[in-house]
Amino acid sequence: MQILINILIASSIFLLIANSYSLIYFTTKFFHIAHAAVISFGAYFVFFFANKFSIPFSVSVALAIATATLIGLACEVLVYSQMRKRNVPALAYLIASIGLYVVLQNCISLFFGDDTKIINTAEVTVGNQIFGAYITTIQIITVFVSIALFIAVNLFLHYTATGKSIRAVATNPELCNIYGISSNKIILIAFGIGSALAATAGILSAMDTNMTPTFGFNLLLYGVVAMIIGGVGSTRGLIAGALLVATAQHLAAYYIDTKWMDAVTYIILILFLIWKPLGFSGKRLKKVEV
Amino acid sequence: MEYILHLFILICFYTLLSQSLNLSAGFTGLISLAHAGFYGIGAYTTAILSTQFGFSFWLSIPLAMLISGAIAFIVSLIALRTVEDYFIICTLGIQVILFSIMNNWMDLTRGPLGIPGIPSISLFGFNLDSKISFLLLSLFFVAIIWFVLRNISKSGLGKTLTAISEDEIYSQSIGKNVYLSKTVSFTLSAMFAAIPGTLYAHYISYIDPTSFTLTESIFVLSIVIIGGLGNLTGSFLAAAFLVLLPEALRFVGMPDSIAANMRQIIYGLILVVVMMTGKNGVKEFFASKTKRVA
Repeated sequence: MQILINILIASSIFLLIANSYSLIYFTTKFFHIAHAAVISFGAYFVFFFANKFSIPFSVSVALAIATATLIGLACEVLVYSQMRKRNVPALAYLIASIGLYVVLQNCISLFFGDDTKIINTAEVTVGNQIFGAYITTIQIITVFVSIALFIAVNLFLHYTATGKSIRAVATNPELCNIYGISSNKIILIAFGIGSALAATAGILSAMDTNMTPTFGFNLLLYGVVAMIIGGVGSTRGLIAGALLVATAQHLAAYYIDTKWMDAVTYIILILFLIWKPLGFSGKRLKKVEV
Repeated sequence: MEYILHLFILICFYTLLSQSLNLSAGFTGLISLAHAGFYGIGAYTTAILSTQFGFSFWLSIPLAMLISGAIAFIVSLIALRTVEDYFIICTLGIQVILFSIMNNWMDLTRGPLGIPGIPSISLFGFNLDSKISFLLLSLFFVAIIWFVLRNISKSGLGKTLTAISEDEIYSQSIGKNVYLSKTVSFTLSAMFAAIPGTLYAHYISYIDPTSFTLTESIFVLSIVIIGGLGNLTGSFLAAAFLVLLPEALRFVGMPDSIAANMRQIIYGLILVVVMMTGKNGVKEFFASKTKRVA
């Protein structure tokens, strides 16, 4: 029972990250690795506001999400949009985002130090017992928040004008520009929402366990794996991907050893890239260039 | 003086690493994030062979290259089915898997404990344990690899590889075996990466998995990109620059703890700026700048 609860918690975190990431990947079609730094920044800003300035916890969470979102937006405005203007090759985005990640992650290390940090919440978390398994309050919050945000984002994408424009830009940015939808503006919106979701995921995960400057990177990669497995732009695929990654990790931890969790995750990714490169959903990620 | 020699030796290692990566990343356009993994395979092969079986350096170097090449060949069979972004993500996965094997396979690699007591290299009965002799040995290898890579780039294979990096489908249409050439390039690149690995193991005499992380892969890739794809001299200059950078920062009075982070911030920024302008390496970046001014 405990293992099922753990899988549920892990998959909801992965779902939240995959969701935030697919929003950006879906609209821009490149791997925004610096997203990992946004995840870490979210958590570290909560630590910064709540523990250093003793701002009330809920306020500092809001502030942290806002600041981390600004960092995500800054990446887009200062770097990626400039690159789009210059029409650089597709691979350059990925490499530039790795560079950005290195810069941002080292900024965190410089300001906060490399040691493990814990966000001190005022209330003492007591494990609640459900069906003979233990789950902390923050873990319950995590599950509900990530499911709620997932539903909200999908409703937003399908039933609002902005959401529809995001999907339109994802399909064909040039045509959107012709029809008067500014693709740059829409991409900026996607970056904003994606970064806010990522910061939320970072905060929840850091409150559940602890954080180091690089913890966002691992989380992001699990999210990316979930997204690739699920297939980009597919709602059910994301859920399936997150569940599969979390299940595989916990089964590996249970039957082999916790230290092989990472390796198992990537073996699944590579198997998927070979035999099912389009993910569960079967949607094409990349058009064949002729 | 000892310390300066140490820095020169490090420059040699990173020159070897970045030039070998340049073969796959620069000439062929296969940007790989698994290079530190192959570097590690080289180091672990020689460490295990020399401490447990008493192999000499000269015997373990070809063996390390063979093992690294064999693993790279298997990896390339998998990874080369993907293209561009997905290739990078795939090699990133392979890097993590290789690292976790080094870190977790206790029986073989002793995991995070590392392997101590790797003997120094002996040549015709002389022990190369002084820094200056080791530097000469490293320079010897740099010269050989540089020469080999330069010749590869000028050979028929090299021309094919460049053609593939420019236009894959066109090279295929004129009858080049794209898949085979890519496999050869990726495998050779990993084999050459094993050489600095073996040198490193014998030089430091102790290895543990933390020297072969993803961060290291990103660092080597940055050297290649800053030096310019397909530019061997550029790789050497960029390696020298990035190795000496923390020393320069320390020289201007920055404390050690900050200097390490500052170095990463600086190379990250260079990477972003070079990529933003869509230029190939710092050299071209400045060349175009001056042209525009004139």
